[in-house]
Amino acid sequence: MNTLNSTNNIHISAAKMFIFFSQLMDKPVLDKNGATAGEIYDLAVKASQVYPISDALIIRQGFPNRKYALINWGDIEKIDSEGVKLKIEKSVLNFNQIHDEKKEFTLRRDILDQQVVDTHNHKVIRVNDIQLLVVDHALMIAHVDIGSRGLLRRLGFEKIVDLMVKLFNPGAKYLKNEHLISWKHIQPLAINPVSMTIKIDLPQKNLLSIPAADLGDIFLDLNINHQIALFKSLNLVNKTKIFTNIDFKTQNSLLEELNDFEISELLNNIPSDEATDFLEKLSSEKTKHILSLIENKYSKRLSQLLGYSGDSAGGLMTTEYIAFTKDTLVQTALDQIRQRKFKSEPAQFIYIIDETQHLISATNFRRIILANPTEPIQNSAFPKTYFVRLDSSIKEVAYLMEKYKYFAIPVVDENNVLQGIITVDDILSQLIAFAWRRLKRIKIMQKT
Amino acid sequence: MKNLKTFWAKILIFLSVMGPGIITANVDNDAGGITTYSVAGAHFGYALIWSFIPIIIALVIIQEMCSRMAVVTGKGLADLIREEFGVRVTFYAMTVLVLSNIFNTISEFAGIAASAELFGLSKYLLVPICALFVWWLIVKGTYKSVEKVFLFACLFYVCYIVSGFLSKPDWNLIAKSSVHPTFQFDKAYIFMLIGVVGTTIAPWMQFYQQSSVVEKGIKLENYKYSRLDVIIGAFVVNIIAIFIIIVCANTLFANGIRIETAKDAALALKPLAGQYCFYLFAFGLLNASVFSACILPLSTAYSVCEGMGWEIGVNRTFKEAPQFYSLYTAIIVIGAAVILIPGVKLVPIMLISQATNGILLPFVLIFMLLLVNNKRLMGKYTNSKFYNFCAILIIVTMILLSLFLFFTVFIK
Repeated sequence: MNTLNSTNNIHISAAKMFIFFSQLMDKPVLDKNGATAGEIYDLAVKASQVYPISDALIIRQGFPNRKYALINWGDIEKIDSEGVKLKIEKSVLNFNQIHDEKKEFTLRRDILDQQVVDTHNHKVIRVNDIQLLVVDHALMIAHVDIGSRGLLRRLGFEKIVDLMVKLFNPGAKYLKNEHLISWKHIQPLAINPVSMTIKIDLPQKNLLSIPAADLGDIFLDLNINHQIALFKSLNLVNKTKIFTNIDFKTQNSLLEELNDFEISELLNNIPSDEATDFLEKLSSEKTKHILSLIENKYSKRLSQLLGYSGDSAGGLMTTEYIAFTKDTLVQTALDQIRQRKFKSEPAQFIYIIDETQHLISATNFRRIILANPTEPIQNSAFPKTYFVRLDSSIKEVAYLMEKYKYFAIPVVDENNVLQGIITVDDILSQLIAFAWRRLKRIKIMQKT
Repeated sequence: MKNLKTFWAKILIFLSVMGPGIITANVDNDAGGITTYSVAGAHFGYALIWSFIPIIIALVIIQEMCSRMAVVTGKGLADLIREEFGVRVTFYAMTVLVLSNIFNTISEFAGIAASAELFGLSKYLLVPICALFVWWLIVKGTYKSVEKVFLFACLFYVCYIVSGFLSKPDWNLIAKSSVHPTFQFDKAYIFMLIGVVGTTIAPWMQFYQQSSVVEKGIKLENYKYSRLDVIIGAFVVNIIAIFIIIVCANTLFANGIRIETAKDAALALKPLAGQYCFYLFAFGLLNASVFSACILPLSTAYSVCEGMGWEIGVNRTFKEAPQFYSLYTAIIVIGAAVILIPGVKLVPIMLISQATNGILLPFVLIFMLLLVNNKRLMGKYTNSKFYNFCAILIIVTMILLSLFLFFTVFIK
């Protein structure tokens, strides 16, 4: 008798390579003797190289007192759209009131009907159905369906609607347009109940390749719990990427969820002008607390920056710049630039200073690359140096930068000591905000 | 000194959190509500005022659960239903919600048409203008600006309180009848009672309240203010309802005048309570109808898109959120167009709207109870035992009333 079941292979009807999860849900589960054990409720998967692979089946029985049992994938004889046949007897199944919450993730609980991030189209979407690939012994998640067809299939109207559409408009887009998205572009948002984080699998690195501004937008589409969980799951680079691309309100509520160590880690790594932008909007007590958390040297610089008014050169500048003393050789300068790590992308300018930080002149990457490496850097400087004072207004700064076509301009104090630089993007974001207000006012005036 | 400072800080937080509860509750006093309360006052005098005390409690308990779910999970009710109960349940619930809200919107535009006639304007002028205004407000507005307009509209409900005082009521008798329930075993009385309860707790309210709390991004630490918002809303809306009853009881009931609609009530008020009372009553009706005609289509489009996983508009363009804008526009167009059909009968529309509300409400309330007690979603913020007992009691009562109403509509 046992010879029948001796092979370890599970027979999955080979005719169909793909099967939708909705075609499996609620299908009957028969045990080895053909007695009904329950119905398919959920499918637990585990991570594999590319696509997650079936790990266990959760079946359900009874109404209204539902009970659930977990079946290891090895105990399944056959699974297809007709249902499941088991290799074991139903008496050995262990039915419980709740289904296993410990599994890393299951399709019905964590994917189907839930929101996920589509890392290809940079959107938050809701999953209507899941397409599984049948690979000899197992099922793999291949695609998620987010189209209207997936919806209709779930509702049980797919065949009727298909027939109607074929009857009236055989060439309809609807019949060809499968809104399937490959799993490799999907980042699930299931929050692990213990660690309160979201698992980001190796093949799911896509999330990390989304441009910062888009990532910020996606982030704002999530609800607060997902925001916090996702944020905590990311590495530092992506944390800073997101943090600098979301609105103040969200920044603030994120910060409240982080512990002191995480806050200091985060703020130590965002550019000083972004940090001051954020700190400026906080209450003075909070600012003090946060400044006390971050590195001593950096916090000194930040609190100094915070002292300047927001639309003066002092408030706009960043303290990250490249500067060398005038006798430095070009070769030494290039070597040092190569080794340095920057929090922000510094503009293409290099400033030349004396031993006491007084600004002497400026040069740029192009000029020093073309210069003789054995000459002092001073020889490649621009003939004339333009700069602004700490209290110069944004208008003066913008005017100078436009006039001389500079991407950055140095800021000095009353003794000509170099304090920082203002880059064109800092000016641009201010001017855009200003232009928007103007535009709105003009629009309102036109309306009235 | 410090106490004073924290007191003002608290007030400030409350003002920033306030909105969803008060707005949702006030939309409840829409054209249909005003009609029901006017008829209740005109036909039964003060005899139904006692019922507002249990109604306030029920409203607070139900809406508080929505608000709590919104703050804890950060998701709308339709979102949660979809995620926990699957697409099929969501689809049918949304279908009924759309139907019921279309009929509700029609009755709001009927309210606009009625007030147009009261002010001596043509409904063919005022209804399209209001429809356009409503559409424009949401399409061009942001959540913040729209909320401000809505809160402003809430202020105009004071009309009814003023007209209540203008009718010089007998306060002693009112106080007595509000704490002393008098039950009449009379078919018309029971119908009226169910009507009053039914119009105060409608299924769209739970969806709207939860979505707007989510949209506002209220934090858990400020939740107590959000609860206060719900409580104030429930009190304000019912006090206004009581004043509508008072006006009608004091004038129409006292003179034995029978009415069918809010328009009848306003017209009958003119000779009895004077010009001002009439204008206030009519203006209140217009304000309430326009206000609700804004919220109902918006709330419907919001819930459906949440549940079906479509992009939600307000801050998006038509191309990005086609389903949202189509649905929103369609409901307004249908609502306004039906009213403009010459000789349209409004009574069947009201009945269908009541019946669809009645079908949907039990399901929505049961879903809510299951969701709010789900530990995985709510953590330590599930209902307490006592709270659950109250909630179940209310839900069972509401289901029985809805079923009763539903059957009587069709058996009659």
